[in-house]
Amino acid sequence: MTARWRWPLRVVAFGYLALLVVIPVGSVFYRAFEHGFATAWDAVTTPDALHALFLTLIVVLIAVPLDTVFGVGVALILARHRFPGSWLLDALVDIPLAISPVVIGLSLILVYGKSGWFGNWLAAHGIQVIFSLPGIVMASAAVALPYVVREVLPVLLEIGTEQEQAAATLGAGPFTTFRRITLPSIRRSLAYGVTLTTARVLGEFGAVVIVSGAIAGRTQTLTLFIQDGIENLNPTGAYAGAVILALLALLVLIVLGGDPERRKRRWRSPSDQFPSDSETPSLSTT
Amino acid sequence: MGLSVPALGGVPAGRGRRRIDRMIGRVAGPSLAVTYLSLLVLLPVAAILSRALSGGFGAFWQAVSQPEAVAALKLTLVCSLGVAVFNSLAGLVIAWVLVRDDFPGKRVVGAVIDLPFALPTVVAGLTLLTLYGPDSPFGVNVAGTRAGIVLALAFVTLPFCVRSVQPVLAELDRETEEAAASLGASSATVLRRVVLPSVAPGMLAGAGLAFARAIGEFGSVVLISGNLPFKTEVASSWIYSLSQSDDLSAAAAVSVVLIAISLAVLIAIGLLRRRFEIDETV
Amino acid sequence: MTLEVPEGSLTALLGPSGGGKSTLLRVIAGLEVPDAGTIEIDGEDVTGVPVRDRGIGFCFQHYAPFRHLTVRRNVAFGLEVRRRPKDEIRSRVDELLDLVRIAHLADRYPAQLSGGQRQRMALARALAIEPRVLLLDEPFGALDAQVRQQLRAWLRQLHEKISVTTVLVTHDQEEAMEVADRLVIINEGHLEQIGAPAAMYDSPANEFVLKFLGPATLWRGRWIRPHDLVVHRDPDLGGERATVERVTHLGFEIRIDLSLAAGSPVWAQLSRGSAAELDVAPGDQVWVALSESAAGVDGSPVPASTHRH
Repeated sequence: MTARWRWPLRVVAFGYLALLVVIPVGSVFYRAFEHGFATAWDAVTTPDALHALFLTLIVVLIAVPLDTVFGVGVALILARHRFPGSWLLDALVDIPLAISPVVIGLSLILVYGKSGWFGNWLAAHGIQVIFSLPGIVMASAAVALPYVVREVLPVLLEIGTEQEQAAATLGAGPFTTFRRITLPSIRRSLAYGVTLTTARVLGEFGAVVIVSGAIAGRTQTLTLFIQDGIENLNPTGAYAGAVILALLALLVLIVLGGDPERRKRRWRSPSDQFPSDSETPSLSTT
Repeated sequence: MGLSVPALGGVPAGRGRRRIDRMIGRVAGPSLAVTYLSLLVLLPVAAILSRALSGGFGAFWQAVSQPEAVAALKLTLVCSLGVAVFNSLAGLVIAWVLVRDDFPGKRVVGAVIDLPFALPTVVAGLTLLTLYGPDSPFGVNVAGTRAGIVLALAFVTLPFCVRSVQPVLAELDRETEEAAASLGASSATVLRRVVLPSVAPGMLAGAGLAFARAIGEFGSVVLISGNLPFKTEVASSWIYSLSQSDDLSAAAAVSVVLIAISLAVLIAIGLLRRRFEIDETV
Repeated sequence: MTLEVPEGSLTALLGPSGGGKSTLLRVIAGLEVPDAGTIEIDGEDVTGVPVRDRGIGFCFQHYAPFRHLTVRRNVAFGLEVRRRPKDEIRSRVDELLDLVRIAHLADRYPAQLSGGQRQRMALARALAIEPRVLLLDEPFGALDAQVRQQLRAWLRQLHEKISVTTVLVTHDQEEAMEVADRLVIINEGHLEQIGAPAAMYDSPANEFVLKFLGPATLWRGRWIRPHDLVVHRDPDLGGERATVERVTHLGFEIRIDLSLAAGSPVWAQLSRGSAAELDVAPGDQVWVALSESAAGVDGSPVPASTHRH
């Protein structure tokens, strides 16, 4: 690039990043430990805070595996079995990316809430979804639904089916082939997908705030705890909680930063991953 | 060499599992996947559509044309559009520096760009509130203002705008620019006539993603905007307060409008990109 | 089409790209399902049997190695799936690695092997399960010419050692002729001819086979082998008058392009010795005749067909 523009562009780019991202995030760390580490620690170990941490952890431990199993399953279906309407399944999986989390939370209430479609049935069986853990789990799982699919599907398409066919000729059934051949091949992209899913579940706010009722000490996840802290004069707690989540986010970035190959695939428009013709090895020889 | 002559019958693998394998692969698996998808996404979305129209079109229209709803939607659209446009340009500059410039610590810069994507939205809002709110060390206070909303939206949509342009820029063939220069084009002309047309699709895609994300954004906006009705209340906040006051039908109605806009934008982007991509292969 | 493959033979499915040879091979394997018809292996109807129970071994053009497994684990895969005891697996794998001569690479990963080594690994992997039929889909297609030559010879030797019924798909007629006992020529989904390589070369069933299996040139409205033309300078020996257009040296043979006084251009193929004796240059006048030992269908030249296949 022409030398003349080098520094002006750099100033604009880095300046923008600094003012928008770096300094704000840094200031949260500052505020959290402004009054000393001990104060911060205390703020984050109150019963409500601990409950929030615990609840968030439980939600992650349930929602992430569910989304992972779903994600791998759908990726396999889309990559290995072409059927009329695969494009539809592909698009449907991306729906959570196109809808505001608040709307997702609302939609869950409309189905599983007291006046919702399943409301009567759930009440009759004594199952509480909204304002309770199941609702939070469902909301979190819903918003993070697409990530595993979007990471694993392109890799499955790229790998192609030859290794799996070879395994079949050697006597392996579908499960064995999946376990010994397919799964090891998608290890990396699966790890990325799980990482992204976890980050999303940890960070979800809009859907959860609607679905949970945000009852402190009962249905408050960490993100809700933070918001509550700011609005109700517990800033230290909020900042301390924010630091925890920010550190986790940085961890996510470190894990994801490892593979430059991924970069090229990530930021396309949601419904970009149609199963392509390249998945079946061409029969005609050249 | 001690070589065993292959037995004629070969070594058979288990035949009994066949039927079960096939059943699980073809029927059970997809059914489970579709059930999961339905319970979490399809049924709920259907419920929104259903509830929005449950009082007939009249009730729907009333909910959507209510002054506060209109104000919220207008604010949301204007802010989101502005942010999408602005961040596309900012994204281009940042991507340019990343791709065409050489400096140590590119990875760190990359991480900074992706941070808004990995960071929870509330935390994002908090960081901006800390620096640009009532306790701002800079003396800049945008809490409770529309500028605050724009700031929050810019924060969360930054990664989309940078990462959609970056690969396009990286793949750009420098030789076309050199050819243009050798034909007498100035840098500005080369930029205008060679570079920009090539990155335009990427920028458009980024802007589309940014816009779709921005209109639904809640967590980062809720802290810094103050949610003042008719002033700094975005559509998602309005939907939230409707749900709190148990007016679910109205909430659903406004939601439908948001969904429709998102879908329209994403489909438009998809179509435009397909068109551009076809041109590029010529 | 109907095809019978004799036990213990090495049969090559030969033909131009897109003709259906690979499809046929995959149908035999069970990787594809035919619209109609049956497959029998060893007298047993396996048409409805899934690929993994057919007792076949398959080698892919791009080897399909299990990238995350070592060479040893690759070869052992089929046996591990069958839950054979560990010692049995180990000894059999060692045996096979020795057979294909990659024992020194046992603990490497496929990515660290050359193309030829990978294909040998694939062969060992397929043979490990003692298949009734060994199916090879363009196994040497992705390799360099020299490696291809070496592996061809090696495959032939291997087949003589272990006489597993083998079916090989290739579009390279030289390869097929060198390696196979039997040739099956397939063109656009049709069986053109089946037979032993030498016999088919000498007695092609039709124009397509003639042209596919070797060089051909048009002589008096019939297709013949260029080396069946005799070129000489003596008008008394008979033949047609011709002018030498071009002389090309193709290594061990010489190609002479000729234009006839009457008729379309033709080319003759001579050995270096004969060409040296003849000593022609472009522009020379010569006489051309068909040798007595010329072969074609039923020993006579093959007529040029008036319509395309």
